[in-house]
Amino acid sequence: MENLKEIVSRVLEVKDVENISREKTEEWDSFNHLMLVSEIEKNLGIKFTIEEVEKIKNYENLKNIVSKK
Amino acid sequence: MKPKNKRVNKKPEGISDYLKLYKNLKKKSKNSLGKKIKIALLSSSTINGIKETLCVQCYQLGIFPEFYVGNYDQYSQEILDANSKLYKFKPDLVILSIDTRSIFGDYYLLPYDMDDNGRKKFVENKVKETTSLIKNLQKKSGSRLILHNFEVPSFSPLGILENKQKFGFHESIRHLNSELEKIFKENSSVFVFDYDNFCSKIGKNNMIDHKMYYLGDIKLDMQKIPLLCEEYLSYIKPVLSMSKKCIVLDLDNTLWGGIVGEDGIEGIKLGNTPEGRSFSDFQKYLLSLFNRGIILAINSKNNYEDAIEVFRKHPDMILKEENFASIKINWENKISNMKSIAEEINIGLDSIVFFDDDPINREMMKKSIPEIKVVDLPQDPASYLQTLMSIQDFETLQITKEDKNKGKMYSQQRKRTELKKSTPHIEDYLKNLGIKVTIQKANKFNVPRIAQLTQKTNQFNMTTKRYSDNDIQKLSKNKNYIIFSVRVEDNFGDNGISGVAIVDTKKCKIDNFLLSCRVIGRNIEEVMLNYIIKNTKKFGSKTLFAEFIPTKKNEVAKDFYKKNGFRLKTKDKKKETWEFSLNHTYKSPKFIEVIEE
Repeated sequence: MENLKEIVSRVLEVKDVENISREKTEEWDSFNHLMLVSEIEKNLGIKFTIEEVEKIKNYENLKNIVSKK
Repeated sequence: MKPKNKRVNKKPEGISDYLKLYKNLKKKSKNSLGKKIKIALLSSSTINGIKETLCVQCYQLGIFPEFYVGNYDQYSQEILDANSKLYKFKPDLVILSIDTRSIFGDYYLLPYDMDDNGRKKFVENKVKETTSLIKNLQKKSGSRLILHNFEVPSFSPLGILENKQKFGFHESIRHLNSELEKIFKENSSVFVFDYDNFCSKIGKNNMIDHKMYYLGDIKLDMQKIPLLCEEYLSYIKPVLSMSKKCIVLDLDNTLWGGIVGEDGIEGIKLGNTPEGRSFSDFQKYLLSLFNRGIILAINSKNNYEDAIEVFRKHPDMILKEENFASIKINWENKISNMKSIAEEINIGLDSIVFFDDDPINREMMKKSIPEIKVVDLPQDPASYLQTLMSIQDFETLQITKEDKNKGKMYSQQRKRTELKKSTPHIEDYLKNLGIKVTIQKANKFNVPRIAQLTQKTNQFNMTTKRYSDNDIQKLSKNKNYIIFSVRVEDNFGDNGISGVAIVDTKKCKIDNFLLSCRVIGRNIEEVMLNYIIKNTKKFGSKTLFAEFIPTKKNEVAKDFYKKNGFRLKTKDKKKETWEFSLNHTYKSPKFIEVIEE
């Protein structure tokens, strides 16, 4: 099964996943953000809350949110 | 046209796969030799991802679409403004999706804040509004329209008492849907897409991801977008004349359970037993496809006598010999059988869908004749029916009288072929047929069939110009055009309207000239040409002009003008122009009785 890093890399088409953020990374626009959430939910079998989706700002805190699931 | 991009050929799994593929497509979209279509998407909510997914699905079929995506919830303004980008784009197809929530606004969750009269008025207004919007669109554009109907919600604040209310919430939406259906029933360019039914198929509780709705006004869960686009494709394929026409079937373990050569006619599974019933149901649904005009044929490795006995004697057999346009039961290989079936019925290999339980046969067919759609039958015959029902390749934009009789016509054709084999001279055969041709100018009864023939005929078609019902109607009112159809009958039966010609009398030029493949080879085309020559002479013209536009499929029509006394005027890769001096006399075949109505 795909891990989080692979999903992020696939959906946003970036190689260096560790350092990306919504602010800096062009590919991470508002639509791709929702796409990313949908793909993570589907592939890892978890659900985010609406608050969490809004909180995700970069890979680091995404990883933290997912790890608590 | 096969897309060159290899990654496109792999079936994408989710929406994100489609989006990724879409990015790779964009660079290649200019070198487009395949079919083209301009699609406009108008919607009351966010539809990101639909264009991209639909585009990839189109590419996989060799269709090269262009898109216009309307601004978020601006569909009314764009339709009403004659100068909008929508009309500048000149769409062939408009897809308009308005969702229940957006039209009800606050009443969506508070439906009983309106009383029954209020709901009635509200729905009546919506019907009027939508209808006038669509009439407006039709006035300003010749485009076809797919109109979503409205999803009937699965919730109700009144719970089990929902349907006890006077013109209740659900009832009002169902009423809205049925009114729209009624209004556009006879309209040949507006198709009401049963979105409510689509939602039921997916499961209404799974349609929306509420989080996504609050975050981005996304009313359809993104993961469902590919399924919605497949529904759209069911309309796009027939618009581009890409529908399948014929189902070719294996016999053992496909039409019945077991192997007739080993188990005997008493031993095969058909009817009465649980497994037998699944084969009976499969046959019933095939019969109902036959009744709507899908051609059936058999391609089976078997002893002919063993297998044909099942059709003749098995009490639970639903399909009979006369349901099949071609029967190949022999020990030849299935590939060459398939080719001779296509030849016999006179259809392209790309119009065929093949059913066979044996995966080896399927693989062989896929490899040898990639144009054929090979269905991956599930292992369990109980699921055959479901597989058959979910094939979205048989869609047509209308069903004419000719379609309904098609099956019968093909079995008559089988009998003609038998006569031909037993008559040594072709002239004698043609005389013995007793052909009668009825020529009829375009009128309100034959317009749908004329348009259908221009859309579906690929082989004997000189220019392959496609026309919609609307186009034909308009042209038939234009005094500078002669449009006529020919109906072909003979001793074996009635082929219905099987040929069409459109002549521009001002330019004295044949605009369109075509003949349905099932009447090719009976000199009908000469009767048609004779009629054109006779009528253009009346206008005092000296020369009749014609064009031949070569395609992959109209090879059979290539020499027609040459054989009939036309002179080649110009020729390039795209088309040939021909001319015929109207001083010459033209002889129409004597053995055909011609009636002009």
